[in-house]
Amino acid sequence: MSLLKPFSKLPGLNSANILLVENEEQFQQSLADVLVEETSVAVNVRLAKSLPLPMENDESRPRIDLVVFIINLTSELSFQSAETSLKYLDPGYFLGKVCFMVTNARNASVPTEHLDAVRKLAASLHCPLLFAEDQTPDGVTSATERLLTVLKVAASLVPTTTALYLSNLTRCTLPPDIDQPSFD
Amino acid sequence: MAEVRPGSQLSEAAQSELLDLCEDQFAQLEKLQNEIILCEPDSCETPQDQSVNRLMATEAELKQWLTVEPKLIAQNSEILLHAGKEEMLKLCSELEMVVSCYEAKRDKLRETKELEHKWLEEKKDMLIATSEHVNRIQMEKENLSEHSMLQDTKAKIQKMKVYQERLMESLGEILEKHVPPPQNESSTSKKKRNNALEINKDLVLLNEILEVLMNKVLNTPHDPYVTIDDTFWPPYVEMLLRYGIAVRHQENNFKIRLETFF
Repeated sequence: MSLLKPFSKLPGLNSANILLVENEEQFQQSLADVLVEETSVAVNVRLAKSLPLPMENDESRPRIDLVVFIINLTSELSFQSAETSLKYLDPGYFLGKVCFMVTNARNASVPTEHLDAVRKLAASLHCPLLFAEDQTPDGVTSATERLLTVLKVAASLVPTTTALYLSNLTRCTLPPDIDQPSFD
Repeated sequence: MAEVRPGSQLSEAAQSELLDLCEDQFAQLEKLQNEIILCEPDSCETPQDQSVNRLMATEAELKQWLTVEPKLIAQNSEILLHAGKEEMLKLCSELEMVVSCYEAKRDKLRETKELEHKWLEEKKDMLIATSEHVNRIQMEKENLSEHSMLQDTKAKIQKMKVYQERLMESLGEILEKHVPPPQNESSTSKKKRNNALEINKDLVLLNEILEVLMNKVLNTPHDPYVTIDDTFWPPYVEMLLRYGIAVRHQENNFKIRLETFF
């Protein structure tokens, strides 16, 4: 078992590296296609089904600036996979270099417990929770824009702000009555 | 770290200064990197540990920000100009986005305001109408005394009486005009009629038959039937029955009642 560490390697010049972790491997590809079109910085996108990452290309892998867990709310497995993958991240990553992205949250067949579980997870790790629409090109574009904003900060490309500072402002918080039964 | 990219239009001196700066920064970065790797990895498995870790990191960062002194990114004015220009342009485009966002918001608020205004007008109209209604009722209530109520009822009764009188009068007129008393009839078939008339000298008028029927209905509604006697001229009875003014008793042929018109 090898931990993925945020500061084990030197950063590349004017580049940002993002790791998309998704069990279903559906949304990450379309996200990656739009992410690499960014011109102001060189964005490297790494895709993974789950963590830990394989050892063989550990040397050639750049420093990962931001880890994104994509969770499909319609699949229980997606959440479980992300939960187990979290163990292979260095605690240093949770200081602003991890974020969760939820898809299919608007699907009516999704029980509210799934979303609540993801929110609890994100809140306990002090990570931001983003919602994305994966069916339409517009949704993919806007999700990409939001990821890029976080990524640039996480890769220290934005002066006068840091990943920790941003995540303190954007981290997911739980409403106090999340465990109360809702009446609607 | 070095956020200014040297453009082609920079002079030689500026270029070299920038490169020097970059090299300095990179050397510092490498030094820090080595320190990090040499550091003992702090183990924090539980969420509580992580929260403490986070708090410490945030506090350290805050301290760093407080102690840091603002300083020029480079000495060369050319670089500063370039960096400033770039920063300004970026800021401008961001501010433009903010402006358009706020304009959209303002338009939406304006729309809402208009809608609310319309709503308010409607409510005001409603209030005016309602208060008018209330005033009218209040006035009526004030003017209303026992005496006037009595007066009112009396007038109504009077009106009804006049109306009934008129109805009676017109009924009488119609009967007088179209239904002459039985005695005056039978001029054409005198012989036959004479016979009948002789039998019954005291035949009553149709008016009287109707009166009897009406009184009977009103006085004893449970038993509205009137027994036909000799004073009822048979053609009259026949007429009343035929035109649906009177109805015969189902079991007793000699009894009739007024048709229930009401």
